[in-house]
Amino acid sequence: MGNKQPYTVLVVDDNLLNLRLIEKSLSKEGYQIFSADNGPDARAIAAKENPDLILLDIEMPGENGFDVIKKLKDNSQTNAIPVIFLTGVSEVDSKLKGFELGAVDYITKPFHPLEVLARVRIHLKLSIATNSLIQDQASKLRQVTEAQVSMLPSPGDNPGALFGVYYKALEEAGGDFYDILNISEKITGYFVADFSGHDIKISYMTSSVKALLAQNCTPVYSPAESMKMINDVLVEILPDGKYLTACYMHINRITKKMTIINAGHPPVVCQPQDGEPYLIKTQGDVLGMFKDAHFGTQSINVSMGDKFFVYSDGLVESAQNKITWVSGADSLLPVYKKIAEVPYDKAPAQLVNNLFGDDSFPEDDIVVLCVKV
Amino acid sequence: MDFRDLASRLGIDEEDFTELIELFVTTTLSDIDKIKKGVANNNPADAAAASHSIKGAAGNLGFDDIFNLAKDMEMQARKGSLDNFENFISDLEKQLDAINNL
Repeated sequence: MGNKQPYTVLVVDDNLLNLRLIEKSLSKEGYQIFSADNGPDARAIAAKENPDLILLDIEMPGENGFDVIKKLKDNSQTNAIPVIFLTGVSEVDSKLKGFELGAVDYITKPFHPLEVLARVRIHLKLSIATNSLIQDQASKLRQVTEAQVSMLPSPGDNPGALFGVYYKALEEAGGDFYDILNISEKITGYFVADFSGHDIKISYMTSSVKALLAQNCTPVYSPAESMKMINDVLVEILPDGKYLTACYMHINRITKKMTIINAGHPPVVCQPQDGEPYLIKTQGDVLGMFKDAHFGTQSINVSMGDKFFVYSDGLVESAQNKITWVSGADSLLPVYKKIAEVPYDKAPAQLVNNLFGDDSFPEDDIVVLCVKV
Repeated sequence: MDFRDLASRLGIDEEDFTELIELFVTTTLSDIDKIKKGVANNNPADAAAASHSIKGAAGNLGFDDIFNLAKDMEMQARKGSLDNFENFISDLEKQLDAINNL
């Protein structure tokens, strides 16, 4: 809604005279008017022209005003347009029903054009104020997202780390996080974490965790020691009740040894070069909660070409189907088998695509890392 | 009934008001035809719908007499009765003539 552009109002009424009357009184005040005398036309115009406001008559033959508002609200193109409906003076039920369906106000008939004008004005003002509030908040959140994404290393910047990644945050301030630590030329650390909660506070925490990883994941410390140090600091700095589940995978490509430190995170999937995929199950405490935490630790010998999947619970859990990763992870093994031949850099996206399809949306943030030895 | 007064009460100028009245007369005449057909075919629902349309337009233009007349007609027709509609129709036509001659 710029200053130069006139505000647009869509008027919907099967009574031609009422249409003209409203059209005349509003256009005289500088509004641009679209009019429709039936529901389907009204919805088509609303979707095409995206008017700032809709005045909608309830009693119309065919598709009545209630049907129209329902369909407008169900359509993502039109559901944000405020609707004022026109209704008979004594029809209390229809007023309530209109509000229930998402109308912002009503005007009783017979209406006075000046009353229509006054209500159009007040609701445009309200909508301008709300929109600018939303814009303001959205731009702040976008900054957070940008900052968060810029903190996530890309495979291109870390060619030696041999990993592919799929990362999707449902909200602006996502709870999932990963990092790649180039400890030495042939030793790489892979860290995937999921914060409890998704608020802005958490997104600031990811930068602290990133700093802690850089400080503590060095050749001097064993993976278990690195995680212990990070845990002890996080216990001090995380807000009460906040913690993270995390998996730290440490691969030494010279000794062909891989170590996993698991802090309450879903099990890593190993896809051997030749063989069936299997889960590396470990049990341990979450990160950042307890001073004397015990993490699940496992070291295995690996071969060239083995692939490992580290992921967040958004991949396997479903609140709708009441699946938790404890049971969900097992059921996914056949899916990994199917993508065994997919190169490591394409595997995460392929995996997500196989699980969710093109058009269904995951219920939670998702990060999937595929690492090749 | 003062033409200029009605126009200014609606907050529109006389030229627009004249145009609206012409439209009102045309649509009301066609609605009256529908009512007559409804009476001839003993179809109260059609008569009620046409009366409703006249009521809506008259109410918003400030033609209170026509508004009240059409309202009575609609209410009665909705109950399924077309009794006395000949008189209603002739009253309506008289009112419309008066507006037409303004």
